[in-house]
Amino acid sequence: MVKAVKGALVECDASIKAIIVKIDKQRRNEIIIEDLDDETVLVKTDKLEELKRFLKEELKDTVREAEESGSE
Amino acid sequence: MSASVQALEYLESLPGMVFTRLYQQPSTALAVFRRMLPHSAKTIVMAMLYMTSPIRDADLLCWIRPEAKPEKEQAISILERLHILKVSDLQGARAYRLATNFGQSLQQALTGGGTKASFGVPCGTPGSRTVDVQFLDTFARGRWEAILYYMVGSAGAGLGGDTPIANGTKQLLEEGNFVAMKGGYPVISQEGFTFLLQDVNSQVWRLMIVYLEGTDERHMDHVDVLSFLFTLGSLELGQDYRTQNLTATQRTFLDDLADLGIVYMSEPNRFYPTRLATTLTSDAGALLSSSSFGSNMPSHSPASKGYIIVETNYRLYAYTASVLQIAILNLFSNLSRRFPNLVSGKLTKQSIQRAISYGITAEQIISYLTAHAHPQMQKSKQILPPTVVDQIRLWQIEGDRMSSTNGFIMKDFRDFAEYEDAMKYADALGVLVWKSAAKRCFFVSKLEQMQTYFSNKKQEQRPG
Repeated sequence: MVKAVKGALVECDASIKAIIVKIDKQRRNEIIIEDLDDETVLVKTDKLEELKRFLKEELKDTVREAEESGSE
Repeated sequence: MSASVQALEYLESLPGMVFTRLYQQPSTALAVFRRMLPHSAKTIVMAMLYMTSPIRDADLLCWIRPEAKPEKEQAISILERLHILKVSDLQGARAYRLATNFGQSLQQALTGGGTKASFGVPCGTPGSRTVDVQFLDTFARGRWEAILYYMVGSAGAGLGGDTPIANGTKQLLEEGNFVAMKGGYPVISQEGFTFLLQDVNSQVWRLMIVYLEGTDERHMDHVDVLSFLFTLGSLELGQDYRTQNLTATQRTFLDDLADLGIVYMSEPNRFYPTRLATTLTSDAGALLSSSSFGSNMPSHSPASKGYIIVETNYRLYAYTASVLQIAILNLFSNLSRRFPNLVSGKLTKQSIQRAISYGITAEQIISYLTAHAHPQMQKSKQILPPTVVDQIRLWQIEGDRMSSTNGFIMKDFRDFAEYEDAMKYADALGVLVWKSAAKRCFFVSKLEQMQTYFSNKKQEQRPG
């Protein structure tokens, strides 16, 4: 019997996906519903905003922003 | 989001009962037909309009070239969602027929006949005051600009916002979450920013949908309101219409529309639709973009349409004195200097990403800059410098490292053939987002049509 599961499909780079999986582990697996492949995961719809926030925080530490050349 | 997509999504969310009543009005049937349907769907409806019995799915396919099958599936899907097409069973085969009242109303709209005053009743006698198209345009523009000023003025820029707007309108903007009241002052929201950058036609639809969603609280019948809205779209600009034949709900609605500048009431029993109303259900809506709208105001500088120059070094010059336009530019650029007829500034990563955090997309910024580019820039083939366009897009991607789609994953197929068949059907419908043959599952953005597909499948299998 075919099943339909509600969720939000997240598509991203493999590196970003690794971070998402890590966040999910820290949050006791309450975000991811199913790990689909290297660049795709299915997450709970109501946890999506939370995930975006965590991802942003995580990236802030790892990615250095280039200096803004603010010359006019 | 374009105006017709917004309206279509709203209509789809309504229960089937509503459609039965809506389609009793020829004006509604015609408006839905000409504004909401893709051409392929229009062709199917026209072919079936005078058909008395249902047509088999197989027979319908004879009209369609094999390579256009996905288009046909999409057309059928939209027609079903709008309750225009009913699916029935003809000796065990899938068959379609037009919903009776839609068919009748469309026939009436196209060929005339009937006594229903569905397309408005013009006043026979001249009014006490002559109202011409130019007056109506000025009136509509004034009212609509006042609304935008109110929203932008609330951005804390201390600009504009001094034209008073009706309390009902303020309440409407609040209901739509375009502004939120904080300490007695309105503060513009994410939706509000997105709203500002849309073309006027989309803005009108957006506000109308908010109005429709709130009809229950106003103790109004939303079918009444909606069908009047569709009637408005088919009225003629510059013509005056009677209000005597309208219901009480529709008259209250008319008063609110006058506050928005969508209609003009010269006397209590006489109204003129403005350009905002007559473009509601036509494709000519983009005619009034917010710049051409504003530039004709006496207080605004050049009468020409475009006023923005963008250089390859991300510098931006805008020939404008309009506070509304300056405030909009200020949403996504760093403005540094202001002269009597010119502001200058720069597009920076910070300014673009700030705009994106407000909920404005890179595409909206690019299309705004393109639409309002200075005539000198419009002479070249690529209106904006390609480097700037690419960089704006890259700045957006940088802030947003993943894309997400809400929907449903379909899995646990019996065999590969079943998976492939269902996946191809979803693809034809245009709801397929992602698929994996290895895992034998796929992701769809909408489930309703897939459910009908599976229940049809089940029926087919039962006898065999």
